[in-house]
Amino acid sequence: MTDREVQVRRLWQQRPRSTFARVSALLAVLLTLAAWLSSGIDLSDITEPRRVQNIKRFLGEIQPYPNQKNGFHIDATMSWAARLLSEHGLEASRTTLGIAIAAIVLAGAGGLLFIMPSARTVATPEPFGLCGSQTRWRARWAWRLIVMGTRAMLIFARGIPEYIWAYLFVAMLGLGPWPAVLALALHNFGILGKLGSEVVENVPSTVPAAIFGLGSTRSQVAIVSLFPYALPRFLLYFSYRWETCLRDATVLGLLGIATLGRLIMDARAHDRYDEMVFFMLMGAVLVLVGEVITGLARGIVRRSS
Amino acid sequence: MRTKLRLVGVRRGVLLAIGLAGLWAALDLGLDPRDVWPAGGGLKLLGKFLHGAVAPAATYEADFVPDDAESLLVKAGRAALRTLLFAVTAASLSVVIGLGLGFLASTAWWADDPVGAVNVGTRLFRRTVRPAVYVVTRIIIALARSTHELLWAVLFLSAMGLTNLAAVTAIVIPYSGTLAKVFSEMIDEAPRDAAIALRAVGASPMQVYLFGLLPQAIGDLSAYAIYRFECALRSSAVLGFFGSIPTLGYYMRLSFDNTYYHETWTYLYALLALVVATDWWSGALRKRILR
Repeated sequence: MTDREVQVRRLWQQRPRSTFARVSALLAVLLTLAAWLSSGIDLSDITEPRRVQNIKRFLGEIQPYPNQKNGFHIDATMSWAARLLSEHGLEASRTTLGIAIAAIVLAGAGGLLFIMPSARTVATPEPFGLCGSQTRWRARWAWRLIVMGTRAMLIFARGIPEYIWAYLFVAMLGLGPWPAVLALALHNFGILGKLGSEVVENVPSTVPAAIFGLGSTRSQVAIVSLFPYALPRFLLYFSYRWETCLRDATVLGLLGIATLGRLIMDARAHDRYDEMVFFMLMGAVLVLVGEVITGLARGIVRRSS
Repeated sequence: MRTKLRLVGVRRGVLLAIGLAGLWAALDLGLDPRDVWPAGGGLKLLGKFLHGAVAPAATYEADFVPDDAESLLVKAGRAALRTLLFAVTAASLSVVIGLGLGFLASTAWWADDPVGAVNVGTRLFRRTVRPAVYVVTRIIIALARSTHELLWAVLFLSAMGLTNLAAVTAIVIPYSGTLAKVFSEMIDEAPRDAAIALRAVGASPMQVYLFGLLPQAIGDLSAYAIYRFECALRSSAVLGFFGSIPTLGYYMRLSFDNTYYHETWTYLYALLALVVATDWWSGALRKRILR
């Protein structure tokens, strides 16, 4: 064996190995197999003749109503679309947008508040690894409780799907914008809090440690060094979640709140599948516009930092 | 170079814009802070519901329960298992499709190729087909991502009735789109030194991708895939809540509509247990891999 082959073999033997990772991978593969075998999914379902007929009928029904009767005329289609937009479509889109914005701003503000208590590098008696005077186990456990409590709250807020939160709030507050806003704000508060605390934990500790060593309090360190460093990343996550909120705000209308989802539900209840698909497409357009705005904002922030 | 002195810098400007947007939204929707607190019947419901949080049911609350019905905890366990398996089905397929689409939608393995093409045919192929494939894939991804999985489910429900396959497809479509987009961004933003070195030595673009770009991004991608799986757990529950499949959400809604709030909390805690377990697993895996 040549020298090079010996070197390569030694490198291969020294590669980082982890039993945990291997066992996890194996379990994941086994679980996937078990899931697919027991799912009762039959691909021949789609080719069943009655189902194919249903799909064909459906494809016919989602064409705009005037076109179904008289064939494709552009002005009939345009006036049908204009009527849908003016009657409820634009208003519902505005409500959807408003709910998404209000929810994400609330979530962002709340999340920012709780990032510090849940970041392990800050919420300890020895932030950033600096050894203060001898820390008693009482101080250590007090901080640990704060971290665990905040994280438990964040996990609870994000573990429950926003649709279920919204259902609960509608049951308590009736139909209106608040159930949707609260549900989305709560769910995203959990997510942004967790992501934000991870960003703070990954901040390189030289500058914050220096400021803390000068005698600042934790909040001073946070405002001066942690927030400025973490803000671009946090804004990135914020914009991702805003896009998701746009999507979710549309869907929460299925519960009866006055967004595009309610129009979709109404159209479906009246068997007006053409209108249903139209409003679904409107929702998609809203999300695409949101993506464009997010891309622009991200570019601006990236260029400035 | 003189730096411009501004009254409102970019960061403050962005934060200000966000705050103003929030204010506009609140005013346009007519949000009144006093409406947040429920009144009358809603308050009673809130009280009863919160009571269930501290005392989740271990047995059925209904007055009449058939003798051969399984115990509540077994039922919750079975529903949790069904939720888990459904999420695994959807997430596994989404990861596979997302990897493929993400590969086609990333530019790092074919754009600015320093090595010239060998012949006219290859050059033409590289100039026309590859960008076309990239653009088409991006469009497909944007369309797939733009609709929420519940709306896809409503669409399939109306078109062909909601079978298990339709429910899984409803989740797979937006999830593959998101995974593809994030994956392509990770590939494009990963450090390219290894890829450049391999290309200079003469590796083909496929080899550059598999051995130069992919290993750099695989850590982040696994983390995101596990996060997607957690979201799939929630989406499976929500599809059940909506009424199509017998996952935890289905029983949650049933018990809530029957005002058996203690039972609802049992199912909620089961879902939370799944989420917490996935979260713990993700953290543990990340600690070992990023050592």
